[in-house]
Amino acid sequence: MPSYYDIDDILMEEEPLSVVFQVGANAVGLLDPSSETNSVDKGAKVDLPFWLAHELYLRQAVSISVPACFSQRTRKEIQADAACVDLSFRCPYFYELGCKIVPLVGDKTIGSFVHYTFTSRYKEILSKSHSTHVSTGPKFLNRFTKEERQLFDAARSSMVAFKKWREGGSRLERASVLGRKRKTTIPLPPSATP
Amino acid sequence: MMSTSSKEMKTRPQQPHGRRAGRRRWRLRLVEFLAEDEMIEIVPNIRMEALNMICGDYGPFFPQIATRVPLWLAVALRKRGKCTIRSPEWMSVERLTQVLESERESPREFQPLPFHYIEISRLLFDHAHDDIQNIYMVRSLIEDIRDVRFHKVETGLETIAGRTHAVKLKNLSAMEVNIVRPFMVRALQAFYKHDSPQVIQQSEPMGTRRPQAVDRGPRRDLRPR
Repeated sequence: MPSYYDIDDILMEEEPLSVVFQVGANAVGLLDPSSETNSVDKGAKVDLPFWLAHELYLRQAVSISVPACFSQRTRKEIQADAACVDLSFRCPYFYELGCKIVPLVGDKTIGSFVHYTFTSRYKEILSKSHSTHVSTGPKFLNRFTKEERQLFDAARSSMVAFKKWREGGSRLERASVLGRKRKTTIPLPPSATP
Repeated sequence: MMSTSSKEMKTRPQQPHGRRAGRRRWRLRLVEFLAEDEMIEIVPNIRMEALNMICGDYGPFFPQIATRVPLWLAVALRKRGKCTIRSPEWMSVERLTQVLESERESPREFQPLPFHYIEISRLLFDHAHDDIQNIYMVRSLIEDIRDVRFHKVETGLETIAGRTHAVKLKNLSAMEVNIVRPFMVRALQAFYKHDSPQVIQQSEPMGTRRPQAVDRGPRRDLRPR
């Protein structure tokens, strides 16, 4: 069940899934761009967003195939070096989708695969987030999925806030006007001052 | 002047989420506020009646006779030049050197320090820097201690690899908890979600399934094994 107010959850449900229709459906030709009539035939392969695929799956109208981001090829890459895989490109909601799709597809290894991926990438996030200097970083940030990114930001912004707190001496900020040096050397007539 | 303003310009857009970062800064102030209730010894240089506050009665104050007041009162008096603050005994160079050494020697545990040592030291550095002996030494020692301890926290966090319902952190100070809190809470939540029996154990046959009600995940000490 999606949490109603969670924007990430809502966006995640937009992820397209490839499904195969188990029944013919009339008057929904817009779902299948390749169909010539205004209906989807039985056995047609269509990309649907997760929310729609899920509902249709519950009514046994479609069967869902394993998305590309959980394919054998991705698994091999993750096993080789999890931290270097650009998961954000594959699927920005990799973990959320993984958790939600487990009951919907036949492949039961997805759950442990998602867990394995997170565990091995977690160390990378941990070591980078607290130590990295603020100005560096966008290079590997692009590889992170949404969830990893949030984790990283949580650590980094608390570190930044702490550093600010430690340095900042006074609570009152000085207006920039006050810092200006007065020109006292050459008294100018009022009209000549800028 | 120019350099500071350009630095500000550089750091401002990189704040990840303005609102969240603001909340975090506010939390830091809150931790600092709580630290101001710690008692500290001052030596007044004025004669003053006792102060009757909601949180307690302090004083009366006599010149050159030490008394104990909360840190906020000490700082307020110090700002007006009405007292000197005696730096707490844990803030001496010898004690801190000793703490730093034992922090380095034992990679598994944290040394006992005051719960608010980071905040207290910063407040004293800011407002009573003349009253602390060897202030540069003390300041860098505290920095080093904090770094060593934080590194320990990080190596400890690395060991988390599955569902964990409790993390034991003995002797960790308020500010250190405050720094790791956002990351740790999110990380534990993520592990909890991905390591849930609904997601993982479905591949196993029904017979070998553990009863889920009692399985709250292992307890974990935040220490490298």
